[in-house]
Amino acid sequence: MSYAVGDELPPFTIVSVSPEAMKQWAVFLADPNPIHLDVEVVKAKGLGDRVINQGPINVAYMMNMLMQAFPGGTIKAMDSRFLDNVYGGDSAVVTGKVTAIEGNAVTCEFALDVKGRGTVNAGTAIVQI
Amino acid sequence: MSELDELPPAPPAAGTSLDGTKVFTITAEENAAMCRSTGIEPAADGTAHPIYYYVATQVAMGKTVAGVCEACEFDVEDGPMMGSSGVRFAAPLKVGESYKVTGEILSLVRKRSRKLGVMDVLTYRLRLHLLDGTQVLETDNVWVLPRKEFAA
Repeated sequence: MSYAVGDELPPFTIVSVSPEAMKQWAVFLADPNPIHLDVEVVKAKGLGDRVINQGPINVAYMMNMLMQAFPGGTIKAMDSRFLDNVYGGDSAVVTGKVTAIEGNAVTCEFALDVKGRGTVNAGTAIVQI
Repeated sequence: MSELDELPPAPPAAGTSLDGTKVFTITAEENAAMCRSTGIEPAADGTAHPIYYYVATQVAMGKTVAGVCEACEFDVEDGPMMGSSGVRFAAPLKVGESYKVTGEILSLVRKRSRKLGVMDVLTYRLRLHLLDGTQVLETDNVWVLPRKEFAA
């Protein structure tokens, strides 16, 4: 698959953010923060009425978009900014665009958008193809 | 005099070592579960999901999340928030490979934000190494630590 500067990358869609995955990630990350596990804690802290996705899962979604856009490619660098929370049950999509190409290095910008709330994560990456 | 001059300075956390003693091994089972939990199948070529840059460094650094907060004189129960995360890979991460972590807190800076009030912005750097010492990645993470005790 080849791209030119300005090309949009195929989107990666998360139909519904999974609270069950958050339970798995609490183990993966060795971090049992209850805001990812217990909706009553989220409510008590005034953070909403659904469990909150761990930030690294959101980064993984964005990496998935890049890996599927560049089969066989390798992410060499990536910077992500966390702008808002992603909640259990959210419908989300990662989109991206090629911003530069130098030899085998493709620079992209990307965003994770949640249906109804806009961009919650965004960043840039360099993929070696 | 700025508003920040009226506040005590952020704790002197910069320089705190985050060198780990644990060895982190990426297992095929966990990699597969992690990939599937994010909506993809694991790679067939032996590479691990690159999000292990964050997972492995967090799990095998020398302090827990609560411990990092404690070094900043911040109670983890007050809710640290991720601000940003960056990574530079020197090599792909591999299933079956074992790694260790070095790192340190780079800075802790007190700021005032319209949205969060007074907060400390924590920046720390972690490096993931093969057991022979070869560095495979470096990551800088920024957390926002809201300082509710300074709320107006």
